[in-house]
Amino acid sequence: MGERADVWQGTLALMVLKTLQALGPLHGYGIARRIEQTSGDLLAVNYGTLYPALLKLEQEGYISSEWGTSDNNRKAKYYKLTRAGRKQLDKEAREWEQTTEILARFLAPGKESA
Amino acid sequence: MRLVRSWVLRLGELFRKERREKDLAAEIESHLQMHIEDNLRMGMSPEIARREALTKLGGIEQTKENYRDRRGLPLLETILQDVRSACRMLGKSPGFTAAAVLTLALGIGANTAIFSVVNGVMLKPLPYRQPERLMSLFLHGRGTDRGVMGVADFMALDERQGAFEHVAAISPSTIGFTLTGLGSPQMIPGTSVTSDFFSVLGVQPVLGRAFLPAEGQIGGNLSVLVSHHFWEQFLRADPAAVGSSIKLDGKSYAVIGVLPWDFHFGPHNELWPILQLQPAKQRPPYWLLTVGRLKPGISETQAAADASLIAKQVHEQFPLSDDSSTMVVPLKDLLVGDTSEALLILLVAVGFVLLIAVVNVANLHLSRSGSRIREFAIRSALGAGRGRLICQLLTESVVLAVLGGLFGLALAYGGVRTILALSPDVLPRMEEITVDGRVLSFTAMIAIVTGIVFGLVPALRCAGLPPGRSLKEGSRTATSGRSAGRLHGALVVAEFSLALVVLTGAGLLIRTLSHLQSVNPGFNSSHMVTALLTLPRERYANAPQVTSIYQQLLERVKISPGVEAASITMSLPPNLLELTNPFHPEGKPDTPGQPAPAIGEIPVGTEYFATLGIPLFRGRLFSDQDRSPATHVLVINENMARRYFPDQDPLGTRVQTGEYNPKGDWYTIVGVVGNVKYQGLGEKDQPTMYVPYFDSGWCPWFVREMYVVVRSASAPEKVVSVLQSAALSLDNQLAIAHVRTMDQLLYESVAGSRFRAVLFGVFAALALVLAMIGIYGVMAYSVSQRTHEIGIRIALGAHRTNILQTILREGASLALLGVAIGFVVALALSRTLAGLLFGVQATDRMTFAEVAALLLCVALAACYLPARRATRVDPMVALRYE
Repeated sequence: MGERADVWQGTLALMVLKTLQALGPLHGYGIARRIEQTSGDLLAVNYGTLYPALLKLEQEGYISSEWGTSDNNRKAKYYKLTRAGRKQLDKEAREWEQTTEILARFLAPGKESA
Repeated sequence: MRLVRSWVLRLGELFRKERREKDLAAEIESHLQMHIEDNLRMGMSPEIARREALTKLGGIEQTKENYRDRRGLPLLETILQDVRSACRMLGKSPGFTAAAVLTLALGIGANTAIFSVVNGVMLKPLPYRQPERLMSLFLHGRGTDRGVMGVADFMALDERQGAFEHVAAISPSTIGFTLTGLGSPQMIPGTSVTSDFFSVLGVQPVLGRAFLPAEGQIGGNLSVLVSHHFWEQFLRADPAAVGSSIKLDGKSYAVIGVLPWDFHFGPHNELWPILQLQPAKQRPPYWLLTVGRLKPGISETQAAADASLIAKQVHEQFPLSDDSSTMVVPLKDLLVGDTSEALLILLVAVGFVLLIAVVNVANLHLSRSGSRIREFAIRSALGAGRGRLICQLLTESVVLAVLGGLFGLALAYGGVRTILALSPDVLPRMEEITVDGRVLSFTAMIAIVTGIVFGLVPALRCAGLPPGRSLKEGSRTATSGRSAGRLHGALVVAEFSLALVVLTGAGLLIRTLSHLQSVNPGFNSSHMVTALLTLPRERYANAPQVTSIYQQLLERVKISPGVEAASITMSLPPNLLELTNPFHPEGKPDTPGQPAPAIGEIPVGTEYFATLGIPLFRGRLFSDQDRSPATHVLVINENMARRYFPDQDPLGTRVQTGEYNPKGDWYTIVGVVGNVKYQGLGEKDQPTMYVPYFDSGWCPWFVREMYVVVRSASAPEKVVSVLQSAALSLDNQLAIAHVRTMDQLLYESVAGSRFRAVLFGVFAALALVLAMIGIYGVMAYSVSQRTHEIGIRIALGAHRTNILQTILREGASLALLGVAIGFVVALALSRTLAGLLFGVQATDRMTFAEVAALLLCVALAACYLPARRATRVDPMVALRYE
């Protein structure tokens, strides 16, 4: 269980960074919705788990936060990618691609046995 | 980096919790509102919209809790919470807290104080550059282990050695220099050193420069380096004073530099004049202390081998001298000397006191946790983990110990000052004894370890009990069970055995001191004043000048009112023997390879024996008839007569001192006098020979520094002023120094033993009081726990004296068992004290018996109060109490 949570935390962080890069400053709810939509509702997780992840990213200095006003004129805390965050995103995205590529080769059917 | 950053931020969260908490609530609230709005827009009913949003979030409280875990440092917060609750608990029982903190403060304070001393004397490196390379060199094999060198030895070493960067010689016997021209003549402590001395130590003057090699040569400029203190006191802290000159012993010295304010080498030196050595015509006298800085990569053994080779060559040059090798000893060992042993023993003793304090507090804690068993049972029933409970109890004891440590530190600060004031000349490197970082960490460490040790016992006990049983037990007046009683008892036994060990040590050392103080020094010390007189070499160049000034001075002093007798001597009892010299009786040539015995040789004035009241056993004393022509006579002491002339009459025998020389002067023994201690009251009687100072081979050189001894019924201050005015009226540049009454000298000579006896005595008193409090506490607690039982016994007709006896017996048996165990431990440990004892065996039966009796009496006295309280129990009240 712990392991899965870790994987989830790691990928979640990447998703958050990517979302902020794509959409610019956004509040927690918006990030949660976006991740859900992008994943095609395949990820059914509690939105609540997002907040510790946001806090961690902020403590690490990859994102920064600020109170602002939403489109509906509601007060909300907006998160924004920092320069360090952008670099981290590039790095992690690259690593992720590599990992998936390697895994894909492993899992590709029948090549070795052929 | 990122990790550090986030940890720092998380630590910071501890201090702004409230705002962050509001922030979090607002963020979650805004999240929910946005979600609900979206849901409403999708057509849900308000109720369902809200429920769906909450479900999706995963619960407000869970989210917040997860968030908080990530935000701060949960472990740290738990600890802080424990500390806070511990402080609350301790605040609630101020009596317990005060007793525990005070006990710990005494234990920790005493330990910190002694550790400061150990640290300053033994642990700190010497305050010079690369101190591990500083060595001292000795001649080995001239009857002594560590013999100082002669001029020939030092000069050969300085010229030919290859193992040291620099070597330097120090003239350790110089006491000081007479400073004239700046106010009235004064004796200023100082030591002359050869030109490389400061290069050896690696010390740079803060003003001016160190010695030049040319200044070390005979005929070079006389120059002096002064201490910062001297510069401030006598040279008005004037930078221009460097380059000026001052008069020392009548000679003009150029002040070439001022040393750093924190520079010190040996005790109280203010002046460092250049020592210019004249090439030697013979090897003795031996009087130079040699120091050197090893070249990098050279070991002590290599250096010793190299230097021994040179000593061999010197021996070949002077074949009559002894064949000795050279020994290389780290300078620190030389400066620290043999204090280490005594200090370590003190440290162990004070460690025992701390153990007793710890046991005491553990006992208090245990009694208290007995009454808290219910609280813990309830908490554990409510789901608190065992680890959590232990943690909390430990936190409480560590908080106590830290408080004790803080107070202890304050005590130690005062203690160190007291120790330093108590022992002006007992401890080497006194300037370096301070409460520094190392001492602080030592205190922190013992405080925390102490807290854990005394907290662990009750913590394990409390948390270990199954809640069901404790709750049941707790329903009665928390009879904390048999095992607790046994634990209490064991702790008391431990306390008493530790106390016995410390008390025995104190007893032995106090006995040593009292034995030393009752030693017969061999003369009458009352109404006697002594002072050091130094004649400047310039104006007292030859023997007649030296003899005549002493004669005139003594004549003037003797006719002063109140003065009964006066004389001079080079060595003073009880421990200022300045000179030893080999001697050879006529007709007994030296056996090759067996050096002649070196014994104390003391040039004295004719009336020395009468002045000190030293009895004459046989023959005659010196008189003015021995003056001119010189009769070459000696008076020896009884010990020398017995040891070297066992079956012949020494009177009339001729002897020679120094190196054997058939053509040299022979001295006839004309009298035998009583033994006098010159090497400390604790030393056995040693052979001594006295020679009239005017007829001594050392006249005029060493005879320029002599002690004046005056017996007078008047107050010592009067005698001093008589001496002073007599000296000044003869020569306005003479200063007298080191004024002491003979009783003071006797008192100071046992300062080391007194220092150890007093400190040990204080520790023993602490141990005794703590042990007393300990047994009192346990017995009082036990009586209060057994009120019910005692009530029933009384109701059933037990006599009150029976009750009293029962309680007293219980206490006494604990104490007795402790004393018995302590007896065995003390027997084993007291041997380590043997080197510090005088006149008493390490296993002295009387001391052991007295200490044991004292402890038992104290135990009975401490048990008496609770026992009496037990007899006063009113059976009705006791039974109703249930």
